[in-house]
Amino acid sequence: MNAPRHLLRIQCIGYVARFLGKPVQRVILPAGAHLQTPGSQHNYGQLLRPFHCSAVCSTSRPSQTQLEKTVEDETLNKDKRLVTHDDLFERAARDSKTKADFNRVVDVFSKKDIRRRGHVEFIYAALKKMPEFGVERDLTVYNKLLDVFPKEVLVPRNFIQRMFNHYPRQQECGVQLLEQMEIYGLMPNVETKVLLAQIFGEKSHPMRKYQRIMYWFPKFKHANPFPVPHVLPSDPVELARFSLTRIADDLDAKISIYQYPSTDITEPGEEVMRPHIVGIQSPDQRSLLAKHNPCRPVFVEGPFPLWLRKTCVHYYLLRADPIPPEEKVEEEFDLEMIGPEQSLFYPQRVELDLERDMGDDFSFSVDDVEEGPVYAMCMAGQGDQATLSQWISGLQETCPILGQIPTVFRLDSGPRELQTSSGAQQTRAGG
Amino acid sequence: MSVFPYPEISKEELEELHQLVQPVEKFFNEDVDSKKIDHEAVIPPETLNGLKELGLFGIQVPEEYGGLGLSNTMYARLGEITSLDGAIAVTLAAHQAIGLKGILIAGNDAQKAKYLPKLATGEHIAAFCLTEPGSGSDAASIQTRATLTEDGKHFLLNGTKFWISNGGWADIMTVFARTEVVDKDGQKKDKITAFIVERAFGGVTSGKPEDKLGIRGSNTCEITFEDTKVPIENVIGEVGGGFKVAMNILNNGRFSMGSAGAGMIKRLIELTSEYAGTRKQFNRSLSEFGMIQDKFATMALNAFVMESMAYLTAGMMDRPGVPDCSLEAAMVKVFSSEGSWTCVSEALQVLGGLGFTKNYPYERYLRDCRILQIFEGTNEILRMYIALTGMQYAGKILTGKIKEMKKGNVGVVFEILGKKLKDLVVKTVDFGLTGKDGVVHPSLTESAKMFEQNAAHFGSTVESLLYRYGKTIVDEQLVLKKVADVLINLYAMTAVLSRTSRSISIGLRSHDHEVLLTNTFCKDAHFKNNFLLTQLQKKDNDANIKKIAQEVLAKRAYVCSHPLDRTF
Repeated sequence: MNAPRHLLRIQCIGYVARFLGKPVQRVILPAGAHLQTPGSQHNYGQLLRPFHCSAVCSTSRPSQTQLEKTVEDETLNKDKRLVTHDDLFERAARDSKTKADFNRVVDVFSKKDIRRRGHVEFIYAALKKMPEFGVERDLTVYNKLLDVFPKEVLVPRNFIQRMFNHYPRQQECGVQLLEQMEIYGLMPNVETKVLLAQIFGEKSHPMRKYQRIMYWFPKFKHANPFPVPHVLPSDPVELARFSLTRIADDLDAKISIYQYPSTDITEPGEEVMRPHIVGIQSPDQRSLLAKHNPCRPVFVEGPFPLWLRKTCVHYYLLRADPIPPEEKVEEEFDLEMIGPEQSLFYPQRVELDLERDMGDDFSFSVDDVEEGPVYAMCMAGQGDQATLSQWISGLQETCPILGQIPTVFRLDSGPRELQTSSGAQQTRAGG
Repeated sequence: MSVFPYPEISKEELEELHQLVQPVEKFFNEDVDSKKIDHEAVIPPETLNGLKELGLFGIQVPEEYGGLGLSNTMYARLGEITSLDGAIAVTLAAHQAIGLKGILIAGNDAQKAKYLPKLATGEHIAAFCLTEPGSGSDAASIQTRATLTEDGKHFLLNGTKFWISNGGWADIMTVFARTEVVDKDGQKKDKITAFIVERAFGGVTSGKPEDKLGIRGSNTCEITFEDTKVPIENVIGEVGGGFKVAMNILNNGRFSMGSAGAGMIKRLIELTSEYAGTRKQFNRSLSEFGMIQDKFATMALNAFVMESMAYLTAGMMDRPGVPDCSLEAAMVKVFSSEGSWTCVSEALQVLGGLGFTKNYPYERYLRDCRILQIFEGTNEILRMYIALTGMQYAGKILTGKIKEMKKGNVGVVFEILGKKLKDLVVKTVDFGLTGKDGVVHPSLTESAKMFEQNAAHFGSTVESLLYRYGKTIVDEQLVLKKVADVLINLYAMTAVLSRTSRSISIGLRSHDHEVLLTNTFCKDAHFKNNFLLTQLQKKDNDANIKKIAQEVLAKRAYVCSHPLDRTF
């Protein structure tokens, strides 16, 4: 862990400087870390490590890239145009937006000016651009962005500064950076803490925010008993398997893949897309279905949406209506098997006329709503009757009673394919 | 049916018993090589022949059919000796306590005359076929079917039976199957029927013997019936009456476990005390250390209680008429199986590492003992049976009163309040066991008082339980378990009080030791009962236990995170 050690070293140097009472000329420390007086200018050509950079920055200078040339042109031309920092990002990655590009832009900015003019606006712009580059969940990028702040300048040095919200814009910017980390659920690490201590000092607003994050986030980390992973399987069959097991939440339920996605070429030369059909059923559901009265129909209903973070998948149900109370058949107990006096091992029922006392009676519950049984669920690539009929015929192999029960299809005109939120072209085809 | 005085047998019967016991003991001590039987998982034919010659295959078969015609008490006495080898004990028990019992108690004369003679001599071996792969404790879910043939003279038997002791050698089996019966309303129902099936009928195949943890010498295997033709004369009892037959058979055989356990523990005490007396550590022999002495006391107490309970039950069953002692037999079985397991474990512990090796018989006894808690009705099932039978009986008496209480009848409420206050203030309960006309000897007054107190407290607890749960108490297994434990302790206390009173009155040898054992046991049992009864009055952990179990079973794994896990 280099950061804490370097931090300690720099702090020592700062103390030494204050002790000596005069600005320190070039001091050469072990491990090749150089110090310069605060007043000297930083020139492009020189290979001196700038004072206001954290020790972890690399000192190597690659050849000037196109981006840097653009930035250099701008500063040298001293245009009076209002150039926003967003443009930097736009120009950096015209064709692809990756983490490396993002890092490059941040590097360029850091090296441009030793005083880091406009770093607050830059950081705000970077925070806004992070989702586009796909780095909003990357802690190292946030740490690198935090590194843009100048060190030790923003730390309050006497009691008046401490009283009066020293460098309020910068502190607010730091807080916003941490806020964005919090929104994306990232837990900061010790490098973040060291950076915050170096930049803002121990009792600043960003440090307080960091401490609050570190108090609450561990407590909430396992708050969700059914977390959805960030990276969902891309294969539709695997995704269907994952979401069906998530809905069913029954350890006995078994997934059956009735059809894999494939493309067939039929005789006329047309391409026929065969969508995937993945179904799930548990042994309890199977036995319930076996007891279903063939006079009553079962319904295939759907599609119902299931949101997994930003992905929406659709599933279909096979269910029946609840039996009206007058037709409910009480399971007959064969009195010989389970009467009190004639049991083989112990009586399953005691013939007493006494009921349970009120204090122990938990049978009434407001949340218990009588619903009809759900016999099976499936996810299919296409939600039309043909595909779902294929599902029913696949189910019939394990539940032969389905052959005698009338099946009614109650399908909404829902989406026909997997939807993702990014680039969602809502294909609400009308029926 | 009274428990005082302790049942006894006449002097002539006792003499006869001694005559029988001696050769059997000699045989077991000299000619039975238990270690070899356990190692090879088979009983050698010479041993079986020896057993047959001693008549041990037909102990309870009447003399006219060639058996010894002994009573339950004498059967229990012989059980003490046969229990020295677990495999032989189980083979004999499977043959006569359940295998041929059906014919004995429910068969008609023709069946008895046909089968019993050969069974009594051991020429044919019997087995009891009830358990199936899908139905172990739940005997009502049997799938084996027997259908009547066209000519109405035979039944065709189809099905598989599982874990049948003596299954590999049995020639005569009592098989339970479902038959279609038209009852008096004209409705067709499936009822269980008991059949005597001979292997000679054909279609009977035995699977290979199971490799078991203990009682390895006993043959346990699967039996499949394929269109086995059974003549209708072989139906035991009537068609559709198999349930009662099965129940009677099973309830009858249980009590002998008490004497078998006691016999085994007595033997273990002999072996273990020899070791404890001779082995020296820290310059003292093991028998001088308190913890070792504690183990011996436990063994002695357990043996004492087990045999008292067993012979009390056997004696009650031997009374004229056919008394229903199924409840008492179940209590004996539960107590004995658990007591034997703890005692054998303790005996092994005394020997330490030596007990763990195969050079000594302790590990074999331990393995053989484990099955006692499982077969003949698992202990959990029997606890439910004990508790519910009691609840049923109590419920009948108390229903009226409880209903009055629920209705909120003012007079009844005051009466109950008054009684509760009186109980708080005045703590004496007198059921008449002690005192001038009491049946318990005056030396045991204290123990008897503790027993009476427990019984009274138990009565009021049962009343409050019925008030709380009513007939839904069937579902409250944790509550019923405690009730059953209290009942077993109460019965055990009764048995020892009764036996010791008799011992003192007639002056048996070492009756002062018996008084000591009785008082110790009663005190312990008294405290255990008090604890259980307090738990039953709402001061228990049942709700939490159920919740823990629910969460663990929902996940089907241990739920907590590892203690070394971090969140950041």
